[in-house]
Amino acid sequence: MRKTAPDQQRGATFAPGDEVDFVIVGAGAAGGVMARELSQAGFRVVVLEQGPYLRAADFKHDELAMGTLSALTNDWHSQPNTFRTSPDAVAKKKGVLKYGRLVGGGSVHFTANYWRFHEIDFIERGARGPIAGADFADWPITYADLEPYYTKVEWEIGVSGLAGANPFDPPRSRGYPLPPLPIKPLGVLAERAAKKMGWHAFPAPMAILSQPYRGRSACVHCGFCETFGCEMNAKSSTLAAMIPDAEKTGRCEIRPHSYARRVETNSAGRATGVTYFDAEHHEIFQRAKSVVLCANGAETPKLLLMSESSRFPDGLANSSGYVGRNLMFNGGAYAGGVFEHEINGFKGVVDSRVIQDTYELDPALGLAGGGGFDFRHDLSPIAFALGGLPFDAPKWGPGYKQMLREYYTRSAYVFAHATSLPMETNSITLDPALEDAWGLPAIRMTFAEHPNDVKLNEYMQDRAIDLLEAAGAKKSWRFPRDPWFPQVHLLGTCRMGNDPKRSVVDRYNRSHDVPNLIVVDGSSFVTSGRGQPTMTIQALAFRAAEHAARAAKRGDLS
Amino acid sequence: MHQGDIARRQFLRLSANAVTGVWLAAAAGELASGTLLSCAPAPHTSEWHTFTDADAAVVDAIAALIIPTDDTPGAREAGVVQFIDRSLATFARDQRALFANGLSDLKKRVGAAHPGVDSFSKLDAAQQSALFHDVERTNSDFFTALLAATAAGMFASPEYGGNRDKLGWKLLGFEDRYFWQQPFGYYDRDEVTHA
Repeated sequence: MRKTAPDQQRGATFAPGDEVDFVIVGAGAAGGVMARELSQAGFRVVVLEQGPYLRAADFKHDELAMGTLSALTNDWHSQPNTFRTSPDAVAKKKGVLKYGRLVGGGSVHFTANYWRFHEIDFIERGARGPIAGADFADWPITYADLEPYYTKVEWEIGVSGLAGANPFDPPRSRGYPLPPLPIKPLGVLAERAAKKMGWHAFPAPMAILSQPYRGRSACVHCGFCETFGCEMNAKSSTLAAMIPDAEKTGRCEIRPHSYARRVETNSAGRATGVTYFDAEHHEIFQRAKSVVLCANGAETPKLLLMSESSRFPDGLANSSGYVGRNLMFNGGAYAGGVFEHEINGFKGVVDSRVIQDTYELDPALGLAGGGGFDFRHDLSPIAFALGGLPFDAPKWGPGYKQMLREYYTRSAYVFAHATSLPMETNSITLDPALEDAWGLPAIRMTFAEHPNDVKLNEYMQDRAIDLLEAAGAKKSWRFPRDPWFPQVHLLGTCRMGNDPKRSVVDRYNRSHDVPNLIVVDGSSFVTSGRGQPTMTIQALAFRAAEHAARAAKRGDLS
Repeated sequence: MHQGDIARRQFLRLSANAVTGVWLAAAAGELASGTLLSCAPAPHTSEWHTFTDADAAVVDAIAALIIPTDDTPGAREAGVVQFIDRSLATFARDQRALFANGLSDLKKRVGAAHPGVDSFSKLDAAQQSALFHDVERTNSDFFTALLAATAAGMFASPEYGGNRDKLGWKLLGFEDRYFWQQPFGYYDRDEVTHA
């Protein structure tokens, strides 16, 4: 591939007054897919991205600058959040959510675990019945509806894995385009533990290239995946895998430093474009025939709520009242263990083996949902020194130094990923008092865990300890399971459904209320799945793009 | 109340903390403006950016308590105090008051416990250790900031002025080769790369 200078404009350039076919808000996991698919289908597309347009050459193995995502995510100084645990309480300022704020979004810095949802994730309410205190519902689509698009994600984005290796895998129409990444010592320990427990460890499906693919390089196992951008383009972010294709069409403009503040509508109730702040905080209106929101499960509902008008007094696309409601994160629990020999988890991708024997649990346990596990060690040196040791370890002095020396190369962590139930009271709303640096309302989060999720995560943490002991850990320990923020999987806040009274978008991600408005990102989720939502976000995006292109060609989308 | 990844969890819990955050998250604005990188690299120098010589001696003594020198080098040899001094002049400038107040508080404690001694750095190891336990119990923000700053100075890239000769990374067993192949460690020594 020809090398391009970092700041060189590669795509099309449109004037805000040009009425393009689609304006997309957010250039992340979903927005990158929509941009590529719609521009390749012949449409003129502008993508508005809050953050900068960084390239692979900008990403460094530098924990201080990059490791905490500070260069790649939202900044609470300029965009504060507020938080409360109940709708009756006054929310207080607190950084409660983190998302990728650059071209590529969270797919730039994510770990790249690409689990498909299983069949049960779409139909669990019908199969298991209602749950008190949860707004539990089934999806309007099934796994079979989405399967072709999961396959499309794997082949278009570039996912490494081994079909048939996981006995719990749902049916698939095609294998992975790339073989699994090499097994790490952590993966060997996972296999050892699973075998002893009668469980099954299988090669982790990862959106990281095990071999060169479509002009991108294979992973060199540097170990700087999670919280870092990939300097090789081996991680299949939309920055590496989708956006270059979109720009190549000559019909797509990626517009960084563009912060959407309102979706505009006309007297007929149709969207006419998006008003945004440019880098100098000037308001600009980009006209478009259709609007696509891919801004994530917090920013998307915020933008809809900010777009109220006399016709849409409770926020755009919100006649149901479901915009912002049913916020979910994915449950989780973790445990650590130290082993006799060197694991060196700092080398290579985060996960090489996954275990899903707990994906669906024995009903006798009385727990809704389920989850899966991986063995990992993803703490870079500073974070390890401050947070990787058992909580009863010395914090300073000779004992501390000795543990740093012994544990860094010999520790494994088992991470449990699990269901999070939807609750109407868990939500994203606009804070009535606090504003961001642009004068827009701060995101207010209301969240408290469902009792089922507390019990499920305790159960999963117990099994994580079992796995560490089965793997032969000399010592194992639990990390506290107390409420913890910020969250990064932002799901459920613009629910998909057939009933316009109980959902925001239809089965193809079109707004029930505004026919030329498409919403696709984590906000579309009806259930949380068991973890690792990006694969499903992108499958929905490929499907929504196909439908939108068809509708637009029919003249049915403006 | 959870999310997907342990490192994010740990990183972000620490970076969301008002005291530790600054040592983990050199602000994006600093990175963009280049001020963070332009302060590197720092040779050993007698000229301090923010500390007096006396302050520097105290912070150096504390860093050496946190990661002591024994049969292998510790925070002192890694230049942690130089890192902290330069950080307080750049991306961590918001914590200058916290450090100034903490050091002044510590000086009072020294005077109260050891009349006639004017600096923590002049106490013997046992006396320092006892007083630092005291700080841990009673001045948690300053204590937490010292831990975070020492970890950052010990384990951040040497281009920021600490982790001299990669002494911090050598202590952990981390290697900055950024290119690896099997076997990665002991347990995969018999494995063959599938890819």
